[in-house]
Amino acid sequence: MYWIFWAAVGILAVLIAVWPRQGVVARWCRARRLASRARREDALKHILKTEANGREATLESVSGALQLSPRKTAGLLAELESGGLIHFEGGRMQLSDQGRELATHVVRAHRLWESYLAEQTGLTEEQWHRQAERQEHLLSRQQAEALAAQLGHPRIDPHGDTIPEPGDTLPADRGSSLNSLQPDAPAVITHVEDEPQTLYARLTREGLRPGVKVCILERTPNMVRLWGHGREHLLSPLEAQSIGVEPLKGLSLKELQSQVFLHRLQPGQTARIVELSPACRGMERRRLLDLGFVPGTVVTVDMASPMGDPRAYRVRGTTVALRHDQARWIRVEPLASSVP
Amino acid sequence: MPETADKALSSEVAELLRTVQQYRQRIQADLHEQVVAAIYAHAEQIAARAVCSSVGPKRPTLDQKIDRIVTSRLWGFPIMFALFALMFWITISGSNVPSAFLAEWLVERGHPWLRDLTLAWGWPDWLRGLTIDGMYLATAWVVSVMLPPMAIFFPLFTLLEDLGYLPRVAFNLDALFRKAGAHGKQAMSLMMGFGCNAAGVVSTRIIDSPRERLIAILTNNFSVCNGRWPTQFLMATLFVGALVPAPWSSLAAAGAVTGVALLGVLMTFVVSWALSRTVLKGQPSAFSLELPPYRPPRVWQTLYTSLLDRTIFVLWRAVVFALPAGALIWLSANVHIGNDTLAAHLVRTLDPVAIWVGLNGVILLAYVLAIPANEIVIPTILMLTVVVTGQPEAGAGAGVLFEVEDQNVLRTLLVQGGWTTLTGLNLMLFSLLHNPCSTTLYTIYKETGSWRWTLWAALLPTAIGLSICFLTTCLYRACT
Repeated sequence: MYWIFWAAVGILAVLIAVWPRQGVVARWCRARRLASRARREDALKHILKTEANGREATLESVSGALQLSPRKTAGLLAELESGGLIHFEGGRMQLSDQGRELATHVVRAHRLWESYLAEQTGLTEEQWHRQAERQEHLLSRQQAEALAAQLGHPRIDPHGDTIPEPGDTLPADRGSSLNSLQPDAPAVITHVEDEPQTLYARLTREGLRPGVKVCILERTPNMVRLWGHGREHLLSPLEAQSIGVEPLKGLSLKELQSQVFLHRLQPGQTARIVELSPACRGMERRRLLDLGFVPGTVVTVDMASPMGDPRAYRVRGTTVALRHDQARWIRVEPLASSVP
Repeated sequence: MPETADKALSSEVAELLRTVQQYRQRIQADLHEQVVAAIYAHAEQIAARAVCSSVGPKRPTLDQKIDRIVTSRLWGFPIMFALFALMFWITISGSNVPSAFLAEWLVERGHPWLRDLTLAWGWPDWLRGLTIDGMYLATAWVVSVMLPPMAIFFPLFTLLEDLGYLPRVAFNLDALFRKAGAHGKQAMSLMMGFGCNAAGVVSTRIIDSPRERLIAILTNNFSVCNGRWPTQFLMATLFVGALVPAPWSSLAAAGAVTGVALLGVLMTFVVSWALSRTVLKGQPSAFSLELPPYRPPRVWQTLYTSLLDRTIFVLWRAVVFALPAGALIWLSANVHIGNDTLAAHLVRTLDPVAIWVGLNGVILLAYVLAIPANEIVIPTILMLTVVVTGQPEAGAGAGVLFEVEDQNVLRTLLVQGGWTTLTGLNLMLFSLLHNPCSTTLYTIYKETGSWRWTLWAALLPTAIGLSICFLTTCLYRACT
């Protein structure tokens, strides 16, 4: 009797393996095809980005970016060349029109997907990149277009990078590294590199996101003391390297340091909202706006809860409780008459 | 010439799109935000012209004074606990009399009367059993146990809500819930869950952040609802109370029940924490909590809406589910396969699994059959026990739910059914940690609109319950 049972198990196992589309073999083949396409597209993306930033892609840079052995990289590049996506001119790697179009689409899909995750889901910054790295190879051109329409055709992604339109040339990354910034010269963060992930996670936890105004207080060979968002941050040069900044004209360090954020006000103090930090985004930002925390509004700190956080604020005739995590994004200007 | 017209149109459209693009480039910040700011500015302008108000923008001082006290470091928490303790006391002591009254009329008098009536009409036995002993009795039982506490608890709760006090509770407790990745308003749905989980799930509507709302829905079952308190009290008196000398037994029993309720609160926080970091991390989240001004509660309106919206609503759903469940319970004890009833077969099938988690087949089957309401779990267990141990004369007949007043008789009956202290203890734990009743599950489906989350709500607590019971069983067997 047992042989019937085992035969049934055997037949079931074979069916699970070879079933068209859903079977293990079919899935495995599909995953392999996707992986090899992803590798090709990643290589194109790398070439496009280096070109946009005025550098030159080489076999070594591609192999470094994709973490492939040089031998495999050479095979990959040969594959791209035979596919008509790249060509070599005098030993220099060049994207063909077709390759450029594909690479631009991949960059566009990646940055659109990150915008989507930032605006419409609750995933944290560290989780965006990995998802987008996957999704960029899955989105078709129509889907990317539909996504862009749904998001209101954003031009800048949450890292501060431009989202290229189809047919556009990819602009160079904005700003220069924080390491090249002079001390005491205020600047605005334009870009935060999202790789490697641990570094990026730490920077976002510090609240250093695109749009935040910063200034270097002191630089030594092994650390950077940075002022940003109403407090000091200590960064290693490696961390500073992944922050891109643009100098800010017409703002002094003193002015930057005297900026006040809502969570620093004393109970009873009244202030006028100056701006919502660009680093606060998505649903969180829309909620604050809906509650009436718009620039120009007068806010009074009403009371703190027994454990200090959240605190209740009086805004436009209502009392609203905010957590410190939210209040720290609201820049205010204390009204002199109200200092207790 | 439609073609040339099309061409002219498309070139116009292209021109328009280019202009739009140019304007877009010129907008510095977020367009959405500028629109919001403009709307506020405009509204302010209109209000300044049209609205005159006798009170300034400042808050009334009385409100402020009350807030200073109820959210102060010193008094905030004691006031909160005192108010809720008072509310529970009123509910429990106040519902005894009407519960007994309903039980007397619906169960003790109504049931025999209906039996006699159908006997006089000459209904066949199976029809009478199915409708009167099965459907009617289960429904009557649910109504008499469920209605009075809910009719007292919900109006009290709504009064506090109407007064404006509950948002202050959320404000006080938010720091705690924030650490678990949840929203302070979950404190309210948690409290409501002690009355009824279905109502608790409905009350999560006040949480407007999608992730935190799902957390509150999925963890609401960890509040020991009104229907589970009797099970807790009974098991605690019969089995935990018996462990210590007589003078201390009621204290030990009360301690055990409190322990289980606190374990439920602890589980709420632990599971909220875990959910917000795993399954639900992709759901969008934004905190907001408005503290409305205090106002005198509108008593009659409150009574009316809380009775209609909450009590009758929940009761109706429970009745709808209790009717078929009553029929099933009766059938399980009266359909015979071979020489045994269906219930006996099922109990024997479940027994080997149940032994592992320190329960028995009767309890597991009772939880499957009594899924519409936790209120009828104990009567179902008693009925199944007498059916399985083959002494139907101890009860009220096969498939007929009953209750035993005398605790010694009850204990003897259960011990004959193979119960030990471990069984009692694990039943207390399993009663806290098992799938929500079908009323709550249906409500969860209605609220989330998703089978996936409903399934999660059912399987998560059951899995936790079975593993905890398994652990206590291992511990118990290692110690004895």
